[in-house]
Amino acid sequence: MGPDHLGSYLAIAAALFTTGVLAVCTRRNAIGVLIGIELMLNAAALQFVAYGRFRAPLGDSIGQAAAVFVIVVAAAEAAVALALLFAVYRTLRDIDLERTRELAA
Amino acid sequence: MIPEWLSSAIVLIPLAAALLAAPLRSAGLAHALAATAMAAATALAVWLAWLIVPTGLSWQGPRLVWLDLGSWALSLGTMVDSQAAIMGVIVCLLATLVLIFNAWYMHDEPLAARFPWQFSFFAFAMLLVVFADNLFLAFVGWELVGLGSYLLIGFWYMKPAVADDPFYQRFKGVRARGVLEHCLSPAHAQLKAFIMNRIGDAGFLLGIGAFLAAGLAAGVRDPLQWSELQRLAAQGMPGSFLGLSGEDLLLLGCLGVFCGAIGKSAQFPLHPWLPDAMQGPTTASSIIHAATMVAAGVYLVARCYPLFPPEALLVVGIIGGFTCLLAATIASVQWDLKATLAYSTVSQLGLMFVGLSAGSEAYGREAGLGHLYAHAMSKCLLFLAAGAVIHAAGGVQDMGRLGGLARRMPLTAIVSLLAVAALIGTPFTTGFFSKDAVLSAALLHAEQRGGWTWLPFALACAGSLLTAFYMVRWWVRIFLGPERQPEITEHAHDPPGWAAAPLVVLALFTLWAPWTVREHGEAVATGHSHAQIAAFSLIGGLIVFAVLTYAPVVRLVSCAGKPRWWQRIFSEHAEQCGFAHGQPSCTVPCGVKTAAAFAPGLLLIPWLLGYVFDSWFAPHGPDPAAAAQYHAMAIAIGLMFTGAATGLIIYWWLPRLGVDTTGFLARHIYPLYNACANLWWIDRAWHALFARGLGEGLGRLSARLDLGDRTRLAALEGAAPWRPRDLASLDGAIDGLGRICARLGAGLAAWHDGRIGAYAALAVGIASLLVIMGVLW
Repeated sequence: MGPDHLGSYLAIAAALFTTGVLAVCTRRNAIGVLIGIELMLNAAALQFVAYGRFRAPLGDSIGQAAAVFVIVVAAAEAAVALALLFAVYRTLRDIDLERTRELAA
Repeated sequence: MIPEWLSSAIVLIPLAAALLAAPLRSAGLAHALAATAMAAATALAVWLAWLIVPTGLSWQGPRLVWLDLGSWALSLGTMVDSQAAIMGVIVCLLATLVLIFNAWYMHDEPLAARFPWQFSFFAFAMLLVVFADNLFLAFVGWELVGLGSYLLIGFWYMKPAVADDPFYQRFKGVRARGVLEHCLSPAHAQLKAFIMNRIGDAGFLLGIGAFLAAGLAAGVRDPLQWSELQRLAAQGMPGSFLGLSGEDLLLLGCLGVFCGAIGKSAQFPLHPWLPDAMQGPTTASSIIHAATMVAAGVYLVARCYPLFPPEALLVVGIIGGFTCLLAATIASVQWDLKATLAYSTVSQLGLMFVGLSAGSEAYGREAGLGHLYAHAMSKCLLFLAAGAVIHAAGGVQDMGRLGGLARRMPLTAIVSLLAVAALIGTPFTTGFFSKDAVLSAALLHAEQRGGWTWLPFALACAGSLLTAFYMVRWWVRIFLGPERQPEITEHAHDPPGWAAAPLVVLALFTLWAPWTVREHGEAVATGHSHAQIAAFSLIGGLIVFAVLTYAPVVRLVSCAGKPRWWQRIFSEHAEQCGFAHGQPSCTVPCGVKTAAAFAPGLLLIPWLLGYVFDSWFAPHGPDPAAAAQYHAMAIAIGLMFTGAATGLIIYWWLPRLGVDTTGFLARHIYPLYNACANLWWIDRAWHALFARGLGEGLGRLSARLDLGDRTRLAALEGAAPWRPRDLASLDGAIDGLGRICARLGAGLAAWHDGRIGAYAALAVGIASLLVIMGVLW
């Protein structure tokens, strides 16, 4: 264990991912669900960087590039999701996922 | 060299115009766009015809495989021969002209902006039928034509049924009858057109199935291609299917195609939709009756022509001839000016089928198509003129109220007179050549084959006689005579400037059209030039006319008018019948009796005249085809003159002399008049049989068998001893099925409760399971 071992990074990533999944599956507030998704994405980015650091030959930056991609995708996803939530809020005056289960407004 | 893209471009330009014009809100812009596009398509179509018609060959355009099923395939493509090229020109040209006219016709119509795109779409669908190189694509176009007509007929979809329309009730003719007023509105009419066409299309689909089966049995790769089908028919249809031989399948397929044509081209018994389609705008009628909708049926039969065996052609001829006469009798007594034209179209379509039924040795295809082209021009013009009249009269369509419009609308009167002349077949118009070709083809065919083939010819002759009568009546009632209700017609005026241009162009085409003369040239076996033929006909017709009508006319006039020197011969009679004492009721019986005495001469004299022509003028010596041609010419011209003269006498001359011929005829031949005026009760029969009988009957039946209704069930159990057990078992089965479905639904509903969290958990759970399984294996 420690900063020089791949396993510790993977453990943290797994913990982050699990937290995210739990948040997505259990949170009632839609913002909370969004945060959970961000956690999962960041767990994936962390794995990319970790594998790139420990398993790739020196000077290979593909892992880091993938992580940057993940961050960009996360940003786009957040923008779209927030816009959707905004629209939902404007029609239903609520973003509680238990109370916004009907398709009809 | 023909560019590859040419035929596809002609088809797709109207579609593009429809798509572009659909979102436009400005009527003027939409009309300009659509008319420009259609004019461009016309130019391309003329180019295509220019390249193809002189060669007389058929040209296969680009083709792509749409559905490949291994051993056989369906492809989409175009095939253009002379007929298709000419038809393409006519469709595009008429669409352009009607759009231009419509821009004026609908200038104060709030919905006008939606007309151009529906109209362009309609033209696109028709062009698809015209250029398609296989039955499948033709069927697609066929159905789209149906959709286009549905849209246009229901253009004023919010209009109430005429029973609830105060304007109609106020201005309908006093003699209007035979119309089911509570089911006559644009919404009803569009449904009627659609449903009646579906009946025909069911037969058409069966026909396509028969062709497909025959082609597959013969192992053809693309069995619905025209070229493949023609090759198969030429080989005597090898292969059989389900115990049916190739010939049987061919006959079945041809009858199926004709069944579709019965629906589309409004033949008996599926014709009532066409007169009802008058509920659409008059400009839409003018294209439906001329180039697009009803032409599709005739055109398709002509396209499949090499496939038709003689038995199928006989069916075509008999149905066509019967429709020709039936619709002509109805048209003769209609008082709505558009209804006369509508039944006239039905009648003329029947005449085209008679021409087609003559078979290829008698040039039947050329005759039928030639009449289709010539009729398209004159009928389109007649409807545009009718639109101008209705517009001028503020929406009044009753010929009992109009009259004397020639003074107020001289241009409309002249162009519609030309159209009437062409439609009844006056020499030196296109209609003369085409009608002559139809009759001569039918006559030649009857002489060759004998038997039942005389029936279509006889029916077509009777129909032509009545055509001349009712078209003259139509024109005289509208444009001559006194202004019967001046308050309706006092503001009447011709269409202004550019809106009159389509009328003038079409009028020129009724006088001369290259395609009609060309088709006739193929049908004529005499070797004379067209001018010679027209001149012979005119002279012969005048002789026939003089001999046939001299005695009745003189007799009538001596009864009704002031005696002149040549009338003294009959003055005796005038004394006898009491006419000289101011009792004019004798007039018509005298005329009718005399005419009846001359009726045998009506056929005899043209016959003799034909032999005279044949023996004196025939450049190639005696030849059955040429003789038939001359006989038909003399008969056609005799019928035309007789019918037109009768119309003029009854509706123009005698009324001028103060005789109420209309009322007289209606009283004295009442049963016949009544039957015609009631449309021979065919509309009513359809309504009673299908709308009321089948529809309401089925409703009542299903109500009686309503299985879920316990009280009704109990009543039934009491009433009929055999029912309870029967129903209980059925009941149990159906209820059980329902319960199973409900339980299953309730169980599955838990998985679809709308909670995103649950969905996400499910997704994650399944994904994890897959991962675990992947790792374990």
